[in-house]
Amino acid sequence: MSETGGIVFVVDDDEAVRDSLSLLLESASLQSQCFASADEFAEHYQGGMSGCLLLDIRMPGKSGLELRDWLDQQGAQLPIIFITGHGDVPMAVDAMKRGAIDFIQKPFSDDELLQRVQQALESEAGDRADRAEADRVRANFETLTPREREVMQQVVAGRVNKVIALDMDISQRTVEIHRARVMHKMGVRSVADLVRLASFLDK
Amino acid sequence: MPNSSEHASSFAEARFAALLDAAVDAILVIDSNGQIETFNRAAERLFGYQSVEICGQNVSTLMPDKYSHAHDSYLQRYLTTGERRIIGIGREVSAMRRDGSVFPVELSVGEVATGEKRRFVGIIRDISERRASEQELRQQQERLEHVTRLGTLGEMAAGIAHEINQPLTAIATYAHAARRLLSSDRMDAVRLDDVLGKMATQAERAGQIIERIRDLARRQSPSQELCDLNAIMDETLKLAEVDARYHDAPIVVEMTPGLPHAWLNSVQIQQVVLNLLRNAIEAGGAGTKLKLRTYARSKEELVVEVEDNGPGVPESLRTEIFNPFFTTRTDGTGMGLSISRSIVASHGGRIEVDAAPTGGAVFRVTLPTALGEIDE
Ligand SMILES: Nc1ncnc2c1ncn2[C@@H]1O[C@H](COP(=O)(O)OP(=O)(O)O)[C@@H](O)[C@H]1O
Ligand SMILES: [Mg+2]
Repeated sequence: MSETGGIVFVVDDDEAVRDSLSLLLESASLQSQCFASADEFAEHYQGGMSGCLLLDIRMPGKSGLELRDWLDQQGAQLPIIFITGHGDVPMAVDAMKRGAIDFIQKPFSDDELLQRVQQALESEAGDRADRAEADRVRANFETLTPREREVMQQVVAGRVNKVIALDMDISQRTVEIHRARVMHKMGVRSVADLVRLASFLDK
Repeated sequence: MPNSSEHASSFAEARFAALLDAAVDAILVIDSNGQIETFNRAAERLFGYQSVEICGQNVSTLMPDKYSHAHDSYLQRYLTTGERRIIGIGREVSAMRRDGSVFPVELSVGEVATGEKRRFVGIIRDISERRASEQELRQQQERLEHVTRLGTLGEMAAGIAHEINQPLTAIATYAHAARRLLSSDRMDAVRLDDVLGKMATQAERAGQIIERIRDLARRQSPSQELCDLNAIMDETLKLAEVDARYHDAPIVVEMTPGLPHAWLNSVQIQQVVLNLLRNAIEAGGAGTKLKLRTYARSKEELVVEVEDNGPGVPESLRTEIFNPFFTTRTDGTGMGLSISRSIVASHGGRIEVDAAPTGGAVFRVTLPTALGEIDE
């Protein structure tokens, strides 16, 4: 399994379930932190945390679904795997209607649980890397002059220098200079790379 | 006419004897020593003795051992102090036939004083049949109680299943984890011992839940014991909270410590309270707030209250809901409150419903204490 550095946050009101889960996660060399209630996790929560949540759907006080809604409001990016029991089908269905959600039923198969957790951690790590890259691209983009931005848009749109020069009513040579600066400031060598980076700017 | 008065009296006696023999009930007359003087036909049939053979014997011959010893002293006490245990009262006792078989009878005793001599007339009615039908009725009631109890458990099934699933999940997860750690050589004996201990604890936890269900599901004869109401409530809560937690309906417990003891059948009282809590959850749905309260209204009366903040019971229905088959639920049986009421009545208590301050319902069960029966 690949290292993602993420922490598995276990939120379950049952102490034995929490404790056994953290042991299982440890057996797969995963780091975990346990919380006895949704509120306890909410208090601990900070933006920029990395990892995933193993969240009991049915708990006294704030339920797992309520915690998810709260996290959404906070703009949290942590993937959630819900833990459900036999009787929780209606609750699970209700949750699904409100967005695609990952479920795992008690008692768990260890392989399945660990696989799901691993996937969640990897997807979160991937998202996190994407976000970091997007931030960097955006920062670089900020350093472009208005002219350079315009040239970049045209390049990304697939126009050749001659067309751009005509369109912007400047010389081809000037377009070339702008273009070289854009490539340099954005830290790319090919137009293909520039196109890929531009896609981050739309997000 | 020399012997006229004697003649008249023997004539009267003959008439009296004829009257006695015509009576349906067994009748006997004893003197102040307990010696049988008269024994009618019905008595002959009932006990299997001939009048001639039993007359002159002590009445205790007709009683099973446990009564016969006491009888002489009862009689003696009555004669000296006038304290009535049975004279003029009539009660159900056991009698013994000639063949030694014991059967239940209703005995009423009257005193006849003729001149110096005190005599007692006993009228005895065989109540074996009445007893049998009473017993049948009681058995029917018990069966119904049993079914209702199972029904209540059925209503609680989802919560119970969830509750048992928790320790099972923990056990399975501990086991998976331990095996993985062992196979990668990261588990030493000390740590393994710790994990095995935790697994055993969880298995016991599951077992306890099942045990509580079994206690309640088991058929029990309605025997009442001197108990602490709060202790019964503690037991009840262990099951009720399983259900309540599942429906996110927290129970606030307000028990008054040091309540006087009472004669209670703990399983039946548990059933009543489980019923009331279940109804409250059913009426109020998820998120209902429940209160379970015990207190003594006086030295003679204990009270258990189950309060909810649900829709309440409209005033017009506050008697009707206790009727058998009255239900407003599509999946209801309407037996819960009816059975609860008869259980409470068999304890000499009563049950009623009122509006709670929150607008919900408050069911109040009043039970007599054991005051006067024990000195504490
Ligand atoms: N706590 C409560 N709040 C409101 N209504 C209640 C409450 N408890 C009982 N009832 C009413 O009394 C009826 C009879 O209850 P019960 O005898 O237990 O039968 P069942 O629960 O099968 O309907 C219920 O259907 C409901 O209408
Ligand atoms: Mg009911």
